Amino acid sequence: MTEAVTTKGGQHPLPAAGTLSPFRRALARNAPGYLFLLPWLLGFFLLTLGPAMASLYLSFTRYDLLTPPVWVGLDNYEFAFTRDRRLRNALDVTFTYVLWSVPLKLAVALALAMVLDKSVRGVSFYRATFYLPSLLGASVAIAVLWRQIFGADGLVNTLLLLTIGWQGPSWVTHPNYALTTLIVLAIWQFGSPMIIFLAGLRQIPQDLYEAASMDGAGPWRQFVRITLPLLAPVVFFNLVFQTIEAFKAFTPAYVVSGGQGGPIDSTLFYSLYLYIEAFANLRMGYASALAWILLVIIGFFTAIAFATSKYWVYYEDEGR
Amino acid sequence: MSQKPISRRQAALRHAVLILASIVMIYPLLWMVMSSFKPDNLIFSDPMALPEALNWDNYVNGWNALAVSFTTFYRNSFIIAILAVIGNVLACSLTAFAFARLEFRGRKIWFALMMGTLMLPYHVTLVPQYVLFQNLGWVNTFLPLIVPKFMAVDAFFIFLMVQFFRGIPREIDEAAVMDGCGPWRIYWRIMLPLSTPVLATAAIFSFIWTYDDFLGPLIYLNRMQDYTVPLALRAFIDSSGGESLFGQMFAMSTLSLVPVFIVFLAFQKLLIRGVAMGALKR
Repeated sequence: MTEAVTTKGGQHPLPAAGTLSPFRRALARNAPGYLFLLPWLLGFFLLTLGPAMASLYLSFTRYDLLTPPVWVGLDNYEFAFTRDRRLRNALDVTFTYVLWSVPLKLAVALALAMVLDKSVRGVSFYRATFYLPSLLGASVAIAVLWRQIFGADGLVNTLLLLTIGWQGPSWVTHPNYALTTLIVLAIWQFGSPMIIFLAGLRQIPQDLYEAASMDGAGPWRQFVRITLPLLAPVVFFNLVFQTIEAFKAFTPAYVVSGGQGGPIDSTLFYSLYLYIEAFANLRMGYASALAWILLVIIGFFTAIAFATSKYWVYYEDEGR
Repeated sequence: MSQKPISRRQAALRHAVLILASIVMIYPLLWMVMSSFKPDNLIFSDPMALPEALNWDNYVNGWNALAVSFTTFYRNSFIIAILAVIGNVLACSLTAFAFARLEFRGRKIWFALMMGTLMLPYHVTLVPQYVLFQNLGWVNTFLPLIVPKFMAVDAFFIFLMVQFFRGIPREIDEAAVMDGCGPWRIYWRIMLPLSTPVLATAAIFSFIWTYDDFLGPLIYLNRMQDYTVPLALRAFIDSSGGESLFGQMFAMSTLSLVPVFIVFLAFQKLLIRGVAMGALKR
């Protein structure tokens, strides 16, 4: 105590080990952790939490980026839910895309994973071949390619003309088919869920199949009674992840439709509509409201998947 | 792998299915490559034919078809992608080390929040981030595409690294503590060298994702000299419009896939393991 008083300039004398004040001890214990966490903490507050809160606020305003935001209460949401025909259409398009592309993609992924799981020779070659489109698929180049493959004189129509002698329409510019081409593009990228299925299949103990086969269970019964239940956690993961990704899809629709969501809004994905509202029409407040509606939609689907998972997902180590 | 050795006929059938599927998967890509070597009038009049010769005209002309040459676009793309990789690997591994190895108050809460950001769609932060970067004067610079990576915004990589770090035996860093190593030295000298597989996985995926990113550059880069390769390809569609430049467009599209394809050939195993790991190591 006397020492502390005699020290000038408010400096504390260096205390001996074990006599640290509780505050200092807490600091010494926690400081390294927070120092390592610092970049992430900055990002979390400045680039995630802060913007998320700002976006929630902006969703109740009219904001064109040039003049300050004007509070409009629930107007944006009211407009979105009751009067925005284009939004209703965007939801239609997006739900159609999700409901077709995700199940079909997963079905193809699971089917090929099972074929691959059983055939020994060349597995790594096939696996790599099937995975390649998933890896390249996100690029603009592939979307450009898709536009041409499904164009009026594209590869698909040439094949149709050669095989069944039928001249198909220009798929990408036809309002009835443009979305289908994007669904096909999504299915074409089944590689990454397939790899996840394959890894899951490898973890199913083979003796289960041997025992089932002894008892006379055919391939279908083995699939329904062994493969599917044991693979359920993996199916669950793929389902949730692919659904979220499908809701967020942007690039293919933008490129294939030339940035407008056409023809006549038939490929106006939710993300594309949000982008157009925010950055083409400068309705930043409304776009923020759209973002929060999307968050609720995605959250809703994720919650359903999680809430129902206990009925259909079986974890092998559950009994731990 | 099957319950009993499969018959020869069954094996043949499986291979037939697999080969057919491979052709369907790869043919669109091959068609693009073939078309890129053809003069425009032959691409659609005889789309199935092989190109008569390796004619590089489309590549040479396509490279300079826009007002700015592809040299600039590739330079921009690589600058952004490489800095993003460095930022991601550094910042995410620092964060993951804190979560996996350091004791501090509030760790569980921060970890839960970090996992929560995995679920947050980018749309929610898109507009305010744009406003923020605009106020900082960062629009039409590469900064909005790079700086966030140094703040570990890609929580997926943090998650992947935490999983990996937890798998490294604690005895190793306990021994290091005995020898007087502080957390920084443990991180830099022990954890990072032992974690090359997961660091490489994170580096490869962040390279591919940044290189392919379209929305970010689309929003933040408006001047052609700042364009990345995907933006330049988009400009190709806009500017060609008519029917005259397909060959060049295919050539530049093919070329744009080459970096990712090389990464794929070189790191196939890591990529495939990375995809599988994301799902199964929970």
